[in-house]
Amino acid sequence: MSRKPASALPTISTEDMCPVCKTIRYLNKDMEFLINPECYHSMCSNCVNRLFNDGPNQCPYAGCHRTLRRRGFRSAFFGDLSVEREVDIRRRVAAVFNQAEDDFETLRDFNNYLQMVEDLTFDLVSGSDAERRAAEATLQQWEAEHKADIERNRRAGKEADEQSRRRLAAEREAARQRRVEALREAEEEKLERVRNREAELDSLAQGQTGGVGGGGGAQRVQLKRRGHAAAARAVEAAVNTAASAAAASSAAADVGRLSIRGLKEKKKPPPPEGPYDPFGGMDFVPSRYKVHEGLTHPAIEKYKGDPGHVTGGYNFDEYTTRAMFEAFAGLGVFIEDEKEAGIGLSAGEVASMSAGIAAVGDRMEVD
Amino acid sequence: MEFNIDDLPVLFPYPRIYPEQYAYMVDLKKTLDAGGNCVLEMPSGTGKTVTLLSLIVAYQQYYPSHRKLIYCSRTMSEIEKALVELKALMKFRTERLGHEEEFRGLGLTSRKNLCLHPSVRREKSGNVVDARCRSLTAGFVKEKKEKGEDVEVCVYHDNLDLLESHNLIPNGVWTLDGLLRYGEEHKQCPYFTARRMMQYCNVIIYSYHYLLDPKIAERVSKDLSKDCIVVFDEAHNIDNVCIESLSTDITDDSLRRATRGAQNLENKINEMRDSDKQKLQDEYEKLVEGLRGADDGRQEDSFMANPTLPDDLLKEAVPGNIRRAEHFVAFLRRFIEYLKTRMKVRQVISETPPSFLSHLKEHTFIEKKPLRFCAERLTSLVRTLELTNIEDYQPLQEVATFATLVATYEKGFLLILEPFESDTAEVPNPVLHFICLDAAIAIKPVFDRFSSVVITSGTMSPLEMYPKMLDFPTVVQESYSMTLARRSFLPMIVTRGSDQASISTSFQVRNEPSVVRNYGSLLTEFAKITPDGLVVFFPSYLYMESIISMWQGMGILDEVWKYKLILVETPDAQETSLALETYRTACCNGRGAVLLCVARGKVSEGIDFDHQYGRTVLCIGVPFQYTESRILKARLEFLRETYRIRENDFLSFDAMRHAAQCLGRVLRGKDDYGLMVLADRRFQKKRAQLPKWINQALLDADVNLSTDMAVSSARRFLRTMAQPFRAKDQEGISTWSMDDLRQHQEKMDDDRIKELRAEQEREQNPALAAQVAARNGRESDYEMDDDDEAEMMALDNDA
Repeated sequence: MSRKPASALPTISTEDMCPVCKTIRYLNKDMEFLINPECYHSMCSNCVNRLFNDGPNQCPYAGCHRTLRRRGFRSAFFGDLSVEREVDIRRRVAAVFNQAEDDFETLRDFNNYLQMVEDLTFDLVSGSDAERRAAEATLQQWEAEHKADIERNRRAGKEADEQSRRRLAAEREAARQRRVEALREAEEEKLERVRNREAELDSLAQGQTGGVGGGGGAQRVQLKRRGHAAAARAVEAAVNTAASAAAASSAAADVGRLSIRGLKEKKKPPPPEGPYDPFGGMDFVPSRYKVHEGLTHPAIEKYKGDPGHVTGGYNFDEYTTRAMFEAFAGLGVFIEDEKEAGIGLSAGEVASMSAGIAAVGDRMEVD
Repeated sequence: MEFNIDDLPVLFPYPRIYPEQYAYMVDLKKTLDAGGNCVLEMPSGTGKTVTLLSLIVAYQQYYPSHRKLIYCSRTMSEIEKALVELKALMKFRTERLGHEEEFRGLGLTSRKNLCLHPSVRREKSGNVVDARCRSLTAGFVKEKKEKGEDVEVCVYHDNLDLLESHNLIPNGVWTLDGLLRYGEEHKQCPYFTARRMMQYCNVIIYSYHYLLDPKIAERVSKDLSKDCIVVFDEAHNIDNVCIESLSTDITDDSLRRATRGAQNLENKINEMRDSDKQKLQDEYEKLVEGLRGADDGRQEDSFMANPTLPDDLLKEAVPGNIRRAEHFVAFLRRFIEYLKTRMKVRQVISETPPSFLSHLKEHTFIEKKPLRFCAERLTSLVRTLELTNIEDYQPLQEVATFATLVATYEKGFLLILEPFESDTAEVPNPVLHFICLDAAIAIKPVFDRFSSVVITSGTMSPLEMYPKMLDFPTVVQESYSMTLARRSFLPMIVTRGSDQASISTSFQVRNEPSVVRNYGSLLTEFAKITPDGLVVFFPSYLYMESIISMWQGMGILDEVWKYKLILVETPDAQETSLALETYRTACCNGRGAVLLCVARGKVSEGIDFDHQYGRTVLCIGVPFQYTESRILKARLEFLRETYRIRENDFLSFDAMRHAAQCLGRVLRGKDDYGLMVLADRRFQKKRAQLPKWINQALLDADVNLSTDMAVSSARRFLRTMAQPFRAKDQEGISTWSMDDLRQHQEKMDDDRIKELRAEQEREQNPALAAQVAARNGRESDYEMDDDDEAEMMALDNDA
């Protein structure tokens, strides 16, 4: 292994060489570059340790006279350090200007606000010194003026973040569950198939010599078993989904009530039947009069003593009741009305009745 | 010939019609009348296109609503074929009717195929042609020209403005060639002629993408009315087209070029701020007002359209923080830098759009809403800056498309970052796939917008899969069988080699020498007995290469070489077309040839092996997809969770539709004949998933053959095929003359009448029916009474 000539080096990009100590990645495999948000000059971690272990020191870049501390260093998220710097500034701005769309009356106001913030950020990022100072002042002024608002929005934003994170996690978990479920189902199906096959072989081995009939029987048994298994699975699945739905609903209670479409309402049991009523609900309490106990009237008085009416097992009151019923029966019934409405039989019934009669007539003739 | 379907007079440009064509027309008419969608499968080579066209044109011309036909096909050659058919049909109609109808039919294809500009047309890449064309035809170029500046314009395009805008081309059917010739004669641009005349056409024939890809559909197909009849022909792959239209891939290289694009953009903005500040200010004002539709008139030359579907388009003003041009460029740069950082990760990541967005927000303070407007804002900016060399901004456009899509859709999409090309690769080559998992998303606007959508192909079994996957209701789902006067194709399933060992390309056994040898002997045997052309399909390039090298070692190729020339398909299109040409020549001059190709390759779709070009198709192995692909896995999971389609069902459906496509290549008409050999043990169980017309012809005796049995039955088949076969033999069976058709119609009418009459009788004589019922009732009553009586008597006796 010969050492590479120096002329091969220029291909090495800045990503692979430390600008301070000129170490290249070839020599130090796990070289890591760090930056300090004071000046965004990158150098390798070795250099940082070497220069800043003994307390604050000046940035080693030529012309940069900022004093840096060891703990300010971190690794950059972006490859482009100008973007890194911009994002850092944005972080600061976003912490102050954190109004949401709901805080504005119209969308247009909100858009104007957004543009104002963007302008300010731009001044901070790439403006001249004066612009930067002005923007900085605005920022601080706003912060002072809207302290309560900012705090409130910050909390609201955090909450929303938290909520969305929780939702994402819940979704992921649900997906994982479903996957496991599906795997298990497939596995079970496979097992079932093997079992069926064995059962079939067993039944063949036990040798119903009946040939066709025996085979058919086995097949039928197998089909039946498969049907049973499917039904059992369906029930199980239903139970599972119900359980998981319940779990999900309790989990998602703070997100919003979960409603499941397509769930059938439970079947109600039929109302309990009362004792058998031979009159079909008709009641015989008279509505137009009232029968008094021990009614007296000269017309019936003579029968009270009549042995034909007071023999054993015969109640005289029943006689009077019947007499009254007969006297009042038919009151409140108007023949004309009933004629118009029919006698409570529908036309269809009448027709079928007449047809029936005709049919009977026919048959009679034939006979 | 001329006949009626119900009340609709149909002119069919051939003297004879196939029974399945007639059935197809009847079902199609039913669908159009009902105003719904349908899925129709009709065997390949039975004249699907002409059937479709003649019925729909008749329908158009007869009914007063004059519904427009949008006919979508897959490739340029198919579009051209359909146009030629349409032209012949219209000629026939003119002759029959005695007058020329008010009719215009146009085809649309890309700028590259329709350009006449002397220097632009010589560009090789379609993208470059598009970009150069735009730079010559954009609205601002013309304005500049009018102002007297010295800019290059396209004379063909500018001539169009001199014509009446609704009559750029006379009535008639224009094939793509014809359109080019007309354009050359009249010095007008064929592409823009077709684009602008689309509203005034009766029939438009173009590629799927013009309707499915939202980036193009927004610009091209926006003005089509609701009652159009949309036909997707060769639609067995439509779900993949849908998915591709909403997916994007981002690589390291494209990001690097996007950064450069953003840098250029910034420079341009600075230039413009110095020279023409007013323009930027104007744009800004417009964005403040939210005037997004202000320059819709220039839509046709816009840089890019919004990649999201029209339903999901946000119709409000651009957010405030990207209103300024420089703000927007900084925004883009931040986004690109973020993507670059993400790409540095060295493990596979798959995440949903919401989680991507929350991570993005955490690190770059980019909100979802401005991200959604990315594509829109970039278009506006490019227009304002009047950029001419648009092709430099292609990668930037890709990034903007990605940004808009990822911020618009939450469900049905997934981001997958693959840092290495394969599992064994050492050098990272990261690709960020943004994939659409749900085919129904892209096609939904089509179903929503148009009342009748017809999906048809030669191989669509099982039919119910498509409505399920694409999520739409159908009026008619039908698969037609092929009526044949003789058994003109012989499907066979070979499950064992001559040594009775089972053959399969399943992963465990595919490289075993015995399997390879058995496949080799199968190939040799069929090379011996097949006249002229033999086509062999393998499940993948990888397997094809390995098996060919093994065959070479076993001396099998030398053996095949004695009988046939051997040609191989490669992923390279030009090599393949050269191979195809040689194959054709060898088939024509009697040498005969074997073409070894891949079931998912270019040859398997769109290239016909009719007559001597393909007498045998040999399908080695079930062409399953590569199941280890993460994208496929994600999609399978999505299908399972959303549409309850199980993984294995989908994989097997997908494999079988490709197998059926391959088999269909060899039979391109009723006088054609061919052998179809499916060589894999696993085909036995998948038989039911073959299209109806193949499955019907597959006898039970032919499903479990060994090589020698297959060869002997193939020999027998070829011997019968060698008997003279006259057109007369087919008459009345597989082709109908006018009389046959009339007979059939009468028979159908009779059946209908009988059926109706029976129904009517049932309805009309309710009294009689009631009587009968009553009599029955009475009789049973009597019986009951008897029984009751008997019972009572018994009771009495007891008492």
